[in-house]
Amino acid sequence: MLNEVIQTIPQVLIDGLALGTVYAVIALGYTMVYGILELINFAHGEIFMTGAFIGTALLIFMTGTGWGSALPAIVMLIIVLIVTAFLTGFLGMGIERLAYRPLRNAPRLIPLITAIGISFLLQDIVRFIAELTKGNYIVTGPSLFTEQVLIKTSSISSIFNDASIKTSFIIVLVTAVVMMVALDIFVNRTRWGMAMRAVAQDRETASLMTVNVNKVISITFFVGSALGGATGVLFAVQYGTIDPYIGFILGLKAFTAAVLGGIGNIRGAMIGGLLLGVLEMFASANLTLLTGGVFGAEYKDVFAFAILIIVLLFKPEGLLGKPVTEKV
Amino acid sequence: MRRLKTLWKKYEQNKLAHGIFLLIYIGVTSLSLYTAQKSVTAFLLLLTSLLLLYFTKFTNLTKWLIAGFVLVFLLPFTASNGDAYQSYMEVSTLVGIYIAMALGLNIVVGMAGLLDLGFVAFFAVGAYTYGIFATAQASNFMPFGTFPLSGESFWLFIIIGGLVAALFGILLGIPVLRVKGDYLAIVTLGFGEIIRIIFNNLDRPINITNGAMGISSVTPPRLFGIDFLYPSQFYYIVLVLLFFTIFTVRRFEHSKIGRSWKAVRENEIAAQAMGVPLVRTKLMAFAIGATFSGMMGVVFAAKQAFVDPTSFTLLESITILVMVVLGGMGSVPGVILGAAVMTILNLQVLTEMTNWLNQLSLSGIISIPYALSPAKMQRFIFGALLILFALYRPKGLLPAKNRIFIEKDLQGANRKAKLVTPQEQSENEKL
Amino acid sequence: MSILEVRNLTKKFGGLTANQDVSMTVEKNSITAVIGPNGAGKTTFFNMITGVYQPTSGIILLENEKINGLQPHDVSKKGISRTFQNIRLFNEMSVLENVLVGMHINLKAGLLGILLNLPAIRKEEKASEMKAYNLLEYVGLADSLNEKACNLSYGAQRRLEIARALAANPKVLLLDEPAAGMNPKETKNLTQLIQSMKHEFNLTVILIEHDMKLVMEISEHIVVLDHGEKIAEGKPENIRNNPKVVEAYLGSGAIQTG
Repeated sequence: MLNEVIQTIPQVLIDGLALGTVYAVIALGYTMVYGILELINFAHGEIFMTGAFIGTALLIFMTGTGWGSALPAIVMLIIVLIVTAFLTGFLGMGIERLAYRPLRNAPRLIPLITAIGISFLLQDIVRFIAELTKGNYIVTGPSLFTEQVLIKTSSISSIFNDASIKTSFIIVLVTAVVMMVALDIFVNRTRWGMAMRAVAQDRETASLMTVNVNKVISITFFVGSALGGATGVLFAVQYGTIDPYIGFILGLKAFTAAVLGGIGNIRGAMIGGLLLGVLEMFASANLTLLTGGVFGAEYKDVFAFAILIIVLLFKPEGLLGKPVTEKV
Repeated sequence: MRRLKTLWKKYEQNKLAHGIFLLIYIGVTSLSLYTAQKSVTAFLLLLTSLLLLYFTKFTNLTKWLIAGFVLVFLLPFTASNGDAYQSYMEVSTLVGIYIAMALGLNIVVGMAGLLDLGFVAFFAVGAYTYGIFATAQASNFMPFGTFPLSGESFWLFIIIGGLVAALFGILLGIPVLRVKGDYLAIVTLGFGEIIRIIFNNLDRPINITNGAMGISSVTPPRLFGIDFLYPSQFYYIVLVLLFFTIFTVRRFEHSKIGRSWKAVRENEIAAQAMGVPLVRTKLMAFAIGATFSGMMGVVFAAKQAFVDPTSFTLLESITILVMVVLGGMGSVPGVILGAAVMTILNLQVLTEMTNWLNQLSLSGIISIPYALSPAKMQRFIFGALLILFALYRPKGLLPAKNRIFIEKDLQGANRKAKLVTPQEQSENEKL
Repeated sequence: MSILEVRNLTKKFGGLTANQDVSMTVEKNSITAVIGPNGAGKTTFFNMITGVYQPTSGIILLENEKINGLQPHDVSKKGISRTFQNIRLFNEMSVLENVLVGMHINLKAGLLGILLNLPAIRKEEKASEMKAYNLLEYVGLADSLNEKACNLSYGAQRRLEIARALAANPKVLLLDEPAAGMNPKETKNLTQLIQSMKHEFNLTVILIEHDMKLVMEISEHIVVLDHGEKIAEGKPENIRNNPKVVEAYLGSGAIQTG
C-alpha cells in the first residue's frame, strides 16, 4: 500500500502545487483585508469567480476576433490578466466603499452579514449575465495551453510513477509566483505598503501620523481583489470549466489556507496555500487507499475543513502568525 | 389633517375600537377566503390579521387567545372550502417550520451574537434521524429491532430529533466556541457543508443515508390509528410545536439564561467578570437553538416522506439568516414576522410572479428571458435584503425591545435597609 | 485580618515585563489604592487578580485560598467583583438588566426550572429584580431603570458599573479608575459612595485612581507601582512625602530642584 502511495507522489505534488498556488493567491486577499480591518471578506471568493468569468469572456472575445487570434496565446493571456485584474480590483474597491465602510463602527456581526449578502448578489448577477449571453451558466473557455509534458520522474527513482504536466500549469505557477513576489515587494518596500502595515497595526495612530486610512483600505481592497480576479483567470485557464458557484468553496479553502499560515500574515498565506493544495491533492489521491475504501475522494473538502478546525484549536495564530492578547 | 391625527390618536388609545376594527378585518378576510378560494391575496390578508393583532393594546393573554382562535379554527376552516385547501395548508405548515427554525437561529445570532452560517445542518440532522429509523434504512446498521419503526414512534422522535440536533450543536460548539468570534462564521459555514457532504456520501461502506438518492417512503406519523398524510394534518403538529417553541424562547429570553446570552453578546469580558461562564453559555445557545431546528427537521421528514441532501444547502442556511436579520436580530416577534414574510415570498410570491410572467411572455406581451425569472433570483433577492437591512435598518422590521420594568412593583418590600443615595447624602451634609 | 494576599506576582508579555515580583496584603474591610504613572502595570495587576490574565509566576490568595489559575467567572464566584477602566457595560440592555446580570452567580435557576416557570424560580427572579432596583436607588440611578445602558451619561455609566459589581455580593471590589472623566462634583459624590458602600456591604475595596485628592481622602493603604514593580506602600501621609514616589511621578529633576 505504501508503495502505491509513493508511486503517485510526483503527480500529487504537481497537481497539489497547481491548486495550492490558486489557494495561495486568493488567501492573500483574505489575509490582507483581515490584517487591516479584522473582517472576513466573504465576498472575496466571489471576486475570484467574477475574475474567472471576466477572463473567460475576454478570452472568448479575443479568440473570436481576427487580430486577437493572431496574437500569441501568452500575450493574449497577459492582456487578459491585466484587464481582469483592474476590473476586479475596482469591483473590490467599490464593494468596500458601499458595503463595508459605512459599517466600520457597527457591531462586528453586521459587516459579516453584508459580506454574505454581497457574496450572494455577485453569484446571481454573474449567473444571469452568463445565462443571458451564453444560455447556460456553466461556461467553458477556449483551451489555450493544452500540451501535455511528461516528466520522467521514474528516472529519478523507480519507486515513482511518471507525472504529466499541462503547459498551463507552468503558466499558472509562474504567474502566481510573479504576483506573490510583486505583492511582497509592494508591501515591504513601497510607501503605500508601509502605510498599509501601519494601518494594520494601529489604525488610529496611523491616521494621526497623516496616513490616509480610507485610501489605504481602498488600496488594500484593490490589490487583494486584483490578485483574486487574476487568479480566477488562471483557474479558468488551468481547469477549463467554470460556474458562478466555484468561488464559494474555493474561497472557504483559501480562507483555511490563510488561517493555516497565520491570518494577517502575507508570507504565511502563501505557504498555507501551497501546503493546503498539496495536502488536499494527497488526500483526494490516497484517501480511498488509506482508509480501505471507507472514505473516498469525495471527502477531500471535509478534509480541508478538518484542517481548519484543528489549526483553530491547537494553533489559532497559524504557522507564521504571532499570538495576540486582547487588551482589557 | 390635524383632525385625522387626533382621530388616529383617539383610535390608538381606544381598546374597543381596536377590537371592532380587528373583528371586521378578520371577518372580511376570512369571508373572502371562504368564498374566493383561489384568492391567495385573501389568504395572505387573513394571515396579516395576526400582525395587526400584535399592534393592538390588548393584554398578552387576549392576544394569544385571538391568535389561537384564528390559527386553530378560522384559517383551516375558511381555507377548507375548495381545491386550494391543501396548498394553503402546505404553505402555512412550511411557514410554521421556518418560524421555529428562525427562532432557534435567533437565539444563536440575535441573542448570543454568534454568527452561525450552517444552521440548516441541525435541521438536516433531525430530518435524517427520523428518515433513517422510519424506513428500512436503519436495518442496514442496527443489530436489533425491526425497521421501519411504526408511525406511533414519530411523537417520540420529535424529542429524539431535538436531542440529537442539540448533541451535534454541542459537538460542533466545543471545539469552535473557544476560538475568536469571527472564525465562528466560517467554521459553521464549513460545518454546514461537511454535514451535507457526509449525508451525501454515507451510502458506503455501510448504507446509512442512501447517499444522493435520498430516503423515500418515510413512515407517516400515526395517532390513535390515524395516519398523518396531508398538509392539513401536519399543520396541527407544526402549530403545537410552534407554540411550544415561542413559549420556550420567551421563557428563556427573560431569565437568567437569556440575560447571560445577551451579556455575552454585548461584552464578553464584562460578562465573564460577572460570573457568566463564556463557553458554557455559548454552548447552551447553540444546543437550544439546534433543538428547535432538529424537532422541525423530524416533522419535515415526515411531511415530505422523503429526505435527501439537496434540501439542506447553504442557501437554506442563509434564507433562515435573512429571516432573522429582516425581522430584527434578538426580537422574537420580529423574527416570527421575518420568517413568515420570507417563506411566503419564497413559496408564493416568487412562484406566482414567475407563472404570471411566463403567461405574459407566452401570450407575447413581453419577453422575459428565462435567466431572469423571479423564482431563480433567490440569491439576488436574499443578498440584496441582507445588504440593505444591514446598512439601513440593522435592527430589522420589529426591533428587539428590552423588557420594561414597572418601578412601583420593585419598590417597597424590603425597605428596612433604606439606602442613602449619594445626592441625599451630600445634601444631608450641607445641612 | 488580611483577606487578599499577593505574593511575588510577575506577568510577562513576550519580552515585556508588565509586573515584576509584586507582593501586597489587603486588610479586610479596608480601602486600598493602587497608584502609579501610566503604564506602571496597575490594570495588568487587576487583570491577574480577576483571572483575565494568568500570572507568569506568583500566587494570589483570597482568604488563604489560591485563586490564580481560575477562569474569570470562577474568580467572581469566589467573591471578587470589578469595574473597568474603559467602561464595559452591556450597552443594549437596560440599566436594571445590567444589574441583574451582576447577580448571575447568586441565582440558582436551572434550565428546567426556567422552562417550567417553577414558583421558586419566579420568587427568586422577583426578589433579584427588587434587589437590583434597591442597588440602583443606592447609586442614584433608580429613575433610569428602563434606559439602555449606552444612553446614560458618562458619570452615570461609571455608577452603573459599580451597582452591577455590587450585585454579585462580592467580598472584594476592584475599581479601575472609577473617577476617570468625572467632574469635581461627581468625584465628590463618588468618594462618598465608595466610603458608604464599604460599611453598607461590608466590603474590601481596592482601587486604581489618578485623582490624588480622592486617593488621599479615602484610602487607608496605598501601594505605588512603577515600571511594573512596587516602589512603595503605606499610609497616605507617608506616601505623599516619599521621595521615590515623587520621583516616579515627576522625574528625578523634581527632587533636585525641589
